[in-house]
Amino acid sequence: MKNLKWRKWNNILHRDLGYLAVGLTIIYSISGIAVNHVEDWNPNYKIRHIPVKTTFFDEAPVQVLVSKVLTKINIAEKPESYFRPSPQELHLFFKNKTLKLNIAQGTGEWEIVEKRPILYEFNYLHLNHAKKWWTYFADLYALILLFLAISGLFVLKGKNGLAGRGKWLTAIGIILPVIFLSV
Amino acid sequence: MLKTKWLIILLLLTFGLLSAQNWKTFGKELTLKDTTLISTILANPYAFIGKRVLVEGTVVDVCKKRGCWMELASDKEFQSIRVKVNDGEIVFPLEARGKLALIEGIVEKLEISKEELIKAMKHHAEEQGEPFDSTKITEGKTIYRLKGLAAKIQLD
Repeated sequence: MKNLKWRKWNNILHRDLGYLAVGLTIIYSISGIAVNHVEDWNPNYKIRHIPVKTTFFDEAPVQVLVSKVLTKINIAEKPESYFRPSPQELHLFFKNKTLKLNIAQGTGEWEIVEKRPILYEFNYLHLNHAKKWWTYFADLYALILLFLAISGLFVLKGKNGLAGRGKWLTAIGIILPVIFLSV
Repeated sequence: MLKTKWLIILLLLTFGLLSAQNWKTFGKELTLKDTTLISTILANPYAFIGKRVLVEGTVVDVCKKRGCWMELASDKEFQSIRVKVNDGEIVFPLEARGKLALIEGIVEKLEISKEELIKAMKHHAEEQGEPFDSTKITEGKTIYRLKGLAAKIQLD
């Protein structure tokens, strides 16, 4: 009877906390796959490069140079700011795009940045860029996951429970990372 | 009455969200009040090594994949300083490019051999999606940069 009671509560908590964890588990797992491959792609931004060909520009004070470039390339938008990394280069910063020009050669490119919708937000939460109270919320989520892992072992009894096939599958799940670490 | 209460709460939330998006804090809160010119640091970096400074400038580049560094324009033309942060501790958004920033950090000196520099620049070019020509690097380099601890960036 006592045994039945703890298992009943174990299953109730496993079920309800499992429901609560569904949202974050989806976010964290999708983001996990995305950032796992950061060496191969940019999981947060889509960046496009569009070549620009114009004429060379004579040396001038930077404000004059900016004004000449805007007129020459026919840009109506006012840049948020600008920078000259070297005497040959001029970078103009607009909202979500940058014009990088070699003024001596009259060549360059637009670099256009777009956030990857949904994935950017998922990564923001998963990698805890938000900091502050999200840190504690994520800690709570991790504790719930821990509880789900342990309580999950005791949901079923019999041949499908921990005493049956469960012990073998659990053992495989523990042994695999151990083998990987020791090889 | 209830409607008015909700309207006030909504307005306060909207105001909070809007104002929070103006000067956004990254990492810890700034502790220094007085800024040091980037050109002053770069003119005599030895005097600043290991010192905590507050600098101001336009963000001219950001690590595109991890947000783990940014380049801050100096008050002098053709000059900038790299701000490096520990991966994950502070993440600079790409939208910071072109925006004004206040950065607090410690001035560091890095002696990089030719081989290390080629490796680092190759990795940098790959991350930034830029072309890289290793033959342009003929010798090692001494770099002065900031180890970023706290930042405020004037985002939209």
